[in-house]
Amino acid sequence: METKFTETYPNVSEEGRETDCEKVVNLLDLIIDGEASSDEQTFFKAHIEDCVTCFESHQKQRLMKSLVSGHLKRVLVPASLASSIKAKIQQTA
Amino acid sequence: MSEQTGKQLSKEEKDARFEAELLPVLDPLYNFAYRLTLDEDDANDLVQETYLKAYRFFDYFEQGTNAKAWLFRILKNSFINEFRKKSKQPAKVDYSEVEGYYNSDDVEGEGGVATTTDMRTESVQDLIGDEVASALNTLPVDFRTVIILCDLEGFTYEEMAKILDIPIGTVRSRLHRARNSLKEKLENYAKTMGYNS
Repeated sequence: METKFTETYPNVSEEGRETDCEKVVNLLDLIIDGEASSDEQTFFKAHIEDCVTCFESHQKQRLMKSLVSGHLKRVLVPASLASSIKAKIQQTA
Repeated sequence: MSEQTGKQLSKEEKDARFEAELLPVLDPLYNFAYRLTLDEDDANDLVQETYLKAYRFFDYFEQGTNAKAWLFRILKNSFINEFRKKSKQPAKVDYSEVEGYYNSDDVEGEGGVATTTDMRTESVQDLIGDEVASALNTLPVDFRTVIILCDLEGFTYEEMAKILDIPIGTVRSRLHRARNSLKEKLENYAKTMGYNS
């Protein structure tokens, strides 16, 4: 499960398309989470310009993240919670 | 304990500082607790316990640093250390109770999503949210946790590593597996809705 991408990345241009796709798959999370380095982003952007499969995988991954961040309902904090916390800490020495 | 860089805070000052720094995190913290326990009362208890612990250790909290990550870490540890012992299978046991709250059937249930809610009163946005919640709630708690921390609360991998006490590499691999799992469940939903995934 652990990806070794960051260590092997510099050799990327020597390797074939299949390996590039695998690397992009391993990069998708970093990309959508804004955690990719600028080298990784450059590699990723260049690759998805030519590769429809990876382009679509990226779209799908991004969509899924947005489903959670944009559609998951937040639950309402019970009205009494803040005041009962305040009351408890005031009693604490 | 009350000695702080030579300046002694009165209890009133300490309480005021505590409330100003940490109470603004109440909303995300309660939501996190709820997503972990899947029960409103348990979330309530867990959040109260977290704040009391935070108060006890408040002298160790550096003002102006990441209060949210600090509280999330305390809450997650409380959940693991104490709360999980209480209920043997929180996710499974409690899921049945949330079903009503989310007003939807099990994703893979007999009626499927066709029976979900009433289009007149609930928007499509809400429907999607319900399905995402149902799918998320069926994930193992470790998977649910990383998705909430990352996608809902916007923590960085580094912050998540600190909150969860695991290396960044483990954050990455866990998030990857969690998303694959969620994707599978949501793709089933998409198919029943007539979308090709």
